[in-house]
Amino acid sequence: MASMPLGGYGHLFVAVLRRELLVFVRYPVDAMGAVVVHSIIFAILFVGGTAVAGGAFADSLDAVVVGYFLWMLATTAYMTIAEDIQAEARWGTLERHFVSPFGFANVLFAKSVAKLVLAFVYAALLLVVMLAVTGTRLHVDVLTIVPLAVATLLSVLGVGFAMAGVTVLYKSVSNWTGLLQFGFVGLVAAPALEWEWTVLLPLVQGSHLLQRAMRDGIRLWELPPSSLAILVVTAVGYLALGYLVFQRSQKRARRLGVLGDY
Amino acid sequence: MVPPPQAAPVPLERDRSNRTAATDSSARPAVRVTNLSKRFGDGPDAVVAVDDVSFEIPSGSIVGLLGPNGAGKTTLIKCLLGLVVPDSGRVEIDGVSVHDAPRRAYGRVEAMMEGARNLYWRLTVRENLRYFASIAGEDPDTVADRHEDLIDRFGLTEYADTQVRNVSRGVKQRAAIASTLAHDVAVTFLDEPTLGLDVESSLTLRNELRTLASEADVTVVLSSHDMDVIEDVCDRVIVIDDGAVVADDTVENLVGALEVTGYRITVGRLDERTLERLDATVPIDEITHVGDRTRLELSTDSREFYRLVAVLESEDVRLSAVETLTPAFEDVFVRLTGGDP
Repeated sequence: MASMPLGGYGHLFVAVLRRELLVFVRYPVDAMGAVVVHSIIFAILFVGGTAVAGGAFADSLDAVVVGYFLWMLATTAYMTIAEDIQAEARWGTLERHFVSPFGFANVLFAKSVAKLVLAFVYAALLLVVMLAVTGTRLHVDVLTIVPLAVATLLSVLGVGFAMAGVTVLYKSVSNWTGLLQFGFVGLVAAPALEWEWTVLLPLVQGSHLLQRAMRDGIRLWELPPSSLAILVVTAVGYLALGYLVFQRSQKRARRLGVLGDY
Repeated sequence: MVPPPQAAPVPLERDRSNRTAATDSSARPAVRVTNLSKRFGDGPDAVVAVDDVSFEIPSGSIVGLLGPNGAGKTTLIKCLLGLVVPDSGRVEIDGVSVHDAPRRAYGRVEAMMEGARNLYWRLTVRENLRYFASIAGEDPDTVADRHEDLIDRFGLTEYADTQVRNVSRGVKQRAAIASTLAHDVAVTFLDEPTLGLDVESSLTLRNELRTLASEADVTVVLSSHDMDVIEDVCDRVIVIDDGAVVADDTVENLVGALEVTGYRITVGRLDERTLERLDATVPIDEITHVGDRTRLELSTDSREFYRLVAVLESEDVRLSAVETLTPAFEDVFVRLTGGDP
């Protein structure tokens, strides 16, 4: 941006993160709702899977835990972006973000990153619960998991941006956002080794690499550079694509005069 | 932001140091709108929401946008902010085009939209001020004095550290307006700022708006259905109807243009024959008999008034009282737009 000093972006990020944390601290029951709900769903899945599939389920339990961990991270990050747009529009604060000198999309990105930080907190808590419930042991190397998860979630943010754009334009799209949430299950579980083309889809490569890191204990620097390159390219590509969709959608919404009208 | 070199700065005085030499001009209007038009839809169903609107608003003034429901006020404000892209025309805020360089223009503008919260209810008043200053690019710590001043001016001291959800509607409204001034703005757009406020809160707000415009050099553009607010606060009024500007002047001039729209004349009780003769000379709007007196009200100019006086003199009727009738601002509005505010 022409006239905004870099420090201004720091204030922006601190402000949006601080707001998220304040709401988190003030309304802990509300904030922890997602962790509790996901824990219950996982417990049902675990009990049901063990009862139905027995040993076969137990053999793949660590993969289920890693997949569920990533799915929770992805859905939390994705849903909060789409829901945030709707909530801001209802509150009349969307317009105020629009007239920010940082640009609407950049403010939304900062808010998304802040929400991602909290999503990591939720996911970490859920991971602890899942490991305790199943008795599974995984390799939790923060220096490996965090970069892989961040790169994986950037592609999800791209999808979230695109859906936020669609939301700005068409308003009531909650059924579609919900549907896409379940689509993430397929992406997290996609057989990247058997169907290599699937690594070009969001989440797939990241999920594959996270499985290897958390189940097999492979460190970040031990992963093949080509695999990491695919992860980075898909992350940046989907983020850029989502950003573009969002920008075009909000421009169209402004031409139609429907920005913020809910 | 570069703080003033002197001690004890006046927090709400605008910092002009962020203006570039190319845009710095004392004569430049805070808002300049040139041939702005916006149409929704196509063909016979198309609605012209903004119809070739042009005006300029000088810095530090308070201008009211007035018009009947559906006149296009909110669409106009959204066009001014870039929230709606116009079909044609140009909008400049503090010399910067909103549509060509929106992010540069947005550094100087804030807005409070009608009927919305405009604030985060789970944050306190003070936290909201810090948040909205930050997303405008300010370091909230360097404008903390400004925030304290705003909290004081808008009577928010008692509620500064209370979550917005727990305060009254009037306090929420005052906090929302204060938050639009949380950073160094040149122009703030307030859509129905007194909607739902009690009389006392509304009066407090009006005083503060006037003070802000005069002391802090903030230009306020407000739309309101409340004629009293417009009349009381605004230096100038732009009346919008069917998307077009139908009047653009001071309240005094708008009222003055229609001044002495009639007369109320009180005389000794008149008989029917005299009344018929008078009515044949000048149409009389209203005849009221009160005891031994008759009161006549007529909408006319001074020439016809003197003709009527001549008839009364020829009938040997003495005038007890003559009052000139001036229109209320609301009458002016109705005459301009033919509708309710």
